[in-house]
Amino acid sequence: MNPPRPLSLLCELTYRCNLQCAYCYNPVALDEYRDELSTEQWSTVLQQAADLGVVQAHFSGGEPTLRRDLPSIVAAASRSGLYTNLITQGTFLGDALLDRLIESGLNHIQISIQAPQAEMADHIAGAAVHDRKLTAIERVRDRNVALTVNCVLHRFNHDAIEGVIALAETLRITRLELANTQFYGWAYRNRGALIPTRRQVEHGERIVAAARERLRGRMEISYVFPDYFDEFPKPCMNGWGRQFITVAPNGYVFPCPAAATITTLQFENVRGRGLAEIWRDSDSFSRYRGTAWMSEPCRSCPRRELDWGGCRCQAFLLTGNAGATDPVCSLSPDHASIVALRDPQGKDEPIPRRA
Amino acid sequence: MNVDTRPQYAKGVKLRHEGDGSAMLLVPEGALELNQAAAAALDLVDGSRSLDDIVAAIVARFEVSRERAQLDVTDLLERLNARGFIILR
Repeated sequence: MNPPRPLSLLCELTYRCNLQCAYCYNPVALDEYRDELSTEQWSTVLQQAADLGVVQAHFSGGEPTLRRDLPSIVAAASRSGLYTNLITQGTFLGDALLDRLIESGLNHIQISIQAPQAEMADHIAGAAVHDRKLTAIERVRDRNVALTVNCVLHRFNHDAIEGVIALAETLRITRLELANTQFYGWAYRNRGALIPTRRQVEHGERIVAAARERLRGRMEISYVFPDYFDEFPKPCMNGWGRQFITVAPNGYVFPCPAAATITTLQFENVRGRGLAEIWRDSDSFSRYRGTAWMSEPCRSCPRRELDWGGCRCQAFLLTGNAGATDPVCSLSPDHASIVALRDPQGKDEPIPRRA
Repeated sequence: MNVDTRPQYAKGVKLRHEGDGSAMLLVPEGALELNQAAAAALDLVDGSRSLDDIVAAIVARFEVSRERAQLDVTDLLERLNARGFIILR
């Protein structure tokens, strides 16, 4: 089978971060990622990706602006003809850095906030940074680069959705992403504390629908539903090894940012092998590509090329078998394990992420 | 929108031509595949050409009636406008 053409490369430049958000999807064991790729190595990876057909490079982390060479890496991506997107929490996005990034060809910036007000936001981030983020958002808004503001939702801020939308309006933001926490890495560890309640999810959906209607033509609001409350799984990464490549700070190559979770797969590194070979030939990318690997109930399911069996990482985390149907699916024999999480009991405190 | 509307790209939106003649619209965090006619229309979007100019160029290039071309180009631009990718003014 000829592999499809990848469109998107996620460069996780570093897992270092000055914030401690408990919903972070980064791996809990961060030590093995400290040996980061050099500027030249990233430039090579970006060119290899462009040669493979990739059209967009996303720079994330950790906090990617902690890499001093970020403008050089963005410039390398631009030289390779890639559209460039920076995903940042914005606390280091001063005038000088921002101007250098734009001169390097940066096309889009996504800045995250944690809540509408400093008190709640700073508590979630584990640092007094909310006001600095708002300043960064205004700086980006007034420059020649596209901007999306993002807020990750969980039990501690879900009731503040309306406030987040109002803040985005006040800041004259045209693109807002409200994304429920995806439970991987630190977020998986903290899921008992972070999962929203059923009431919050229903309330949130109504608020978002009303805001979309009211703000039509002024603000585009994208909303990521909490998949633990769904009946069918998300089409994770639009299918394993179909469109997306993630490169971790130390050069390991993954079909998705959470795939290191799957300890039954051996992943490869750009230091040892070219990106094209890894994409085309590696066991890690081939194993769950397409539909031939599926077992029932996916194998005969009419939705198998809509959701691709859901998320392999979630299947592994919740069943121990990365080839199982994502337990989010109501047809999965393991679906009860998801349903049991929907009415969280007690008042767990999440463990803050450590760098 | 009317025949004098001069569409332009929003910040962070770029048309990309592929070697094989197809094209994609690159937008923040995604890429939209375009058919040949959509790519030809979007190729002319520059903030100075009007809808009328764009439709005339499409009629000259493809075997299509003026009415059909105007409906299709208007529909394309309005859908992209609704997602914040094209500004209509």
